Amino acid sequence: MLLQNAIADALNNTEWAFPLAECVHIGGFAVGIGSIVLVDFRMLNLGLRHETAARILRYTEPWTLIALVFVVFSGLALFSSQTSIYLVNLIFPLKMYALLAAIVYNFTVHRKVATMENPPPALSKFVAIESLLLWVSVVFGGLFTGFLV
Amino acid sequence: MTIAYSSIAHSIQSIDSLTAFSESVLAYPIVLSIHLTCIALFGGMILMTNLRLLGLTFRSVTIREMVTSFRPWKRGGGVIMITTGLLLAASEAEKYAPNPYFWTKMVILGLIGLHALIFRPIVYNQTEELDRSPVIPTKAKVAAILSLVLWTAMFTMGRLIAYWEGYEG
Repeated sequence: MLLQNAIADALNNTEWAFPLAECVHIGGFAVGIGSIVLVDFRMLNLGLRHETAARILRYTEPWTLIALVFVVFSGLALFSSQTSIYLVNLIFPLKMYALLAAIVYNFTVHRKVATMENPPPALSKFVAIESLLLWVSVVFGGLFTGFLV
Repeated sequence: MTIAYSSIAHSIQSIDSLTAFSESVLAYPIVLSIHLTCIALFGGMILMTNLRLLGLTFRSVTIREMVTSFRPWKRGGGVIMITTGLLLAASEAEKYAPNPYFWTKMVILGLIGLHALIFRPIVYNQTEELDRSPVIPTKAKVAAILSLVLWTAMFTMGRLIAYWEGYEG
């Protein structure tokens, strides 16, 4: 609680802290989602066709994880600076559900199918499209949260 | 001069369709969401291509495949980004016209174009040569680092546009 207040104070009293946290948040989701998209594109046969999805996942996963840490912590900082506003926001909880679903999906179903030896093409494509839709909905949710603050 | 400039901005955003766009509750945030979604969809391709040029990841994938397989997607993404960006800026032209962050962003966009002009012929179109080379040549690493710096500056300026408080309208 004390820590949360300290972060909130820093973000509210320093002119550049809030925009800086937002930029880290944007840069983080660009890297995080962008790295997952490469796996999705492979599963849809749209790029890096000479590599398996499993191998692309192995290359991108560390970047996804690091980026996720940056996104979550910058997001928590943004949230703690204006807690009361986010708690009454109509879109914010929807974004959190979408985010939770996207993260769980990514490390369970998505990971499982991406690393399968010979997945049925239809299954791969379905899982990839689902992944893209989930992450896009998180981005839309984040932006609409901002518009309603 | 200043009057002419601001009246140009005023005329642009007074175009009926653009007025309707900026006054719609949903249209503006939807187009901005599309603009941001492009960052997520195509940012990873730019990042990973550049990290590959730096030898930091995807080492078993050829530079040639990294560059050629993402090129059409990056182009398509660029078209959507510029279209949605123009729509956003034109609909609030009076706010954007005096905004220094907006113009800084446009200068960076110009520099990204210049980066392409300089490095496409010597790096991005020479991928077979790069793949044959036992070590990744310095020119490729310079191109990758500059690209990463420019794109980071690009989205940072994009965010800062909203923070400029000089406009009183």
